[in-house]
Amino acid sequence: MTEPRMYPGTGADERTTFAPYSAFDIPADLRELHGRYDVEAVARRVRNFRYAEEWIMMILGGWVATVPELPVKTGLGRIIWETAEAADKLGKRLPELRCGTRSVSASEAPNEAFAAFVRAVAEPESPTLTIEKLTGVFDVFLPHLVDTWERTVAETDPIADAPTIKILEECLVDARRHIAWGREVLDTLCREPAEAERRRGRRAALEAELGACGGVTGELARDPCAAPQGELKA
Amino acid sequence: MKRFISHEELARDSRFKRAAARGRLLESLPDEVEGVVALMEQVAPTLRKRVEGTELEKVYDELGPGYPFLTQFGALHPEDPNVDVQLKVRLHGIFVGELQALEGAGRTLWDFPEAPWEFRMNMARQCWDESRHCQVFEKLLDHVGVDVGDYPETTTLFEAACADDPTLRVAGVNRCLEGLACDAFRAMIDYAKEADDPVMEQAIDFVLADELTHVRFGSNWVKQFTRSDPDKFREAKEFQRDVERRFSIGSGRSGRDDAAIGIAREERLEAGFTEEELRELVEIADQGPSRDTLVEAAKVLRARHLARERGEPVEPMTWRPEEAAAG
Repeated sequence: MTEPRMYPGTGADERTTFAPYSAFDIPADLRELHGRYDVEAVARRVRNFRYAEEWIMMILGGWVATVPELPVKTGLGRIIWETAEAADKLGKRLPELRCGTRSVSASEAPNEAFAAFVRAVAEPESPTLTIEKLTGVFDVFLPHLVDTWERTVAETDPIADAPTIKILEECLVDARRHIAWGREVLDTLCREPAEAERRRGRRAALEAELGACGGVTGELARDPCAAPQGELKA
Repeated sequence: MKRFISHEELARDSRFKRAAARGRLLESLPDEVEGVVALMEQVAPTLRKRVEGTELEKVYDELGPGYPFLTQFGALHPEDPNVDVQLKVRLHGIFVGELQALEGAGRTLWDFPEAPWEFRMNMARQCWDESRHCQVFEKLLDHVGVDVGDYPETTTLFEAACADDPTLRVAGVNRCLEGLACDAFRAMIDYAKEADDPVMEQAIDFVLADELTHVRFGSNWVKQFTRSDPDKFREAKEFQRDVERRFSIGSGRSGRDDAAIGIAREERLEAGFTEEELRELVEIADQGPSRDTLVEAAKVLRARHLARERGEPVEPMTWRPEEAAAG
């Protein structure tokens, strides 16, 4: 009796007896190759995302000293660190996307109008402006990043660009928690109609500016899949 | 948002009372009872104003302008009659110090956008650590029955350490301020052990571990920032000496046996201080008056204060440093 073959030979009938499962059959892999972005487009988006995270880290760092509410001051500490971690992870992806080994700290605004939007978010300074400060980051900037990251995760090549997806998924977990925290604080600070109106006004102004500049990737207005201007998800 | 803010712009809620900075009077106190009494009586109205509306007001009214020497300048021991107020003042002081350290690290992120990314990562991490320290000490205040704002806050730490230059900033905040924190926490852990308070002991031990990391950040970055710039290295050294002088205040923090806060030698060595730097620190810290001088002066100040309160005439204390020096 012939022993079952363990290793393939060179002849036509010298094959092993193992069932011909593909690498993707167990478990079934429903992913399909090809995404909306090529390597260069992903690298550009990663630099855009890193720009956003780096600036949020810096802005929150600056505000820690000028926010009088103690739980806000101390609550921002962890968000600053997790935002820095996000920027760091995004930066470390860049050399893997043919951007050169020195690209780990490369950040890039998609256009001057987005840089102006970031400056507008950073503008409030007075200790009386906690509502304006937090609204900019937690009602507008971070929710926009979450939307854009979710879309990128859904649209990039799920197999070839899996490292970017992994980073963004990790960033999403933190960002959603940051938004929940910031909105809880804002809800508490805006119980009175006048404060709620300050929040609404600030949010509307920044959303308009964000929509006009095309968001963090600069593609919001011309992207048919993205939320249209003025309808950024809350 | 502008770059660089003054210590006066640190935002606080309505519970806090800001005390005007002590200036540099305490640094220049002589090691003579008469001198300490004369100088402290000169600033007595300012000191009284500083404690107004806080828990220290009644302490001042009982002890007079020498109250800090009895409440803040002694080592903590559970059996000490002043331990309750001493512990409360110390913990509140550490709490506001942590707030200022958080603010200092946060402002470094904003003030120096061109600094190397790894440096900014370290500062971002420090923000999280300091914010946890604030939360730890807020809980410990509750643990010993103190409310936030019970005692006045001076912004000396932020003021002294937050220079407008990244090398000096990191020398001031990470080596001096965080180094002082190592000293203070080692003393607090020793007290907690003596007082059999495992909650305080464990919490502060974790905080001390973080502070060591922050001092290490400072040691590394001062080295890196000054690697090819000997002038900047000298400037950083001089700045550090000046800040250490401001943070030492006589026997408040020194290498002497009678120090309220000793120098955490082991921790500092682990965090990158050299033996030479430690010798220099001890030399700077030991320049102030001894604990005996301060306690004796506090007794005289109390007696004169109470006599005034009773309406008795009290002659102004005269003290001329040049006469004292001539013997």
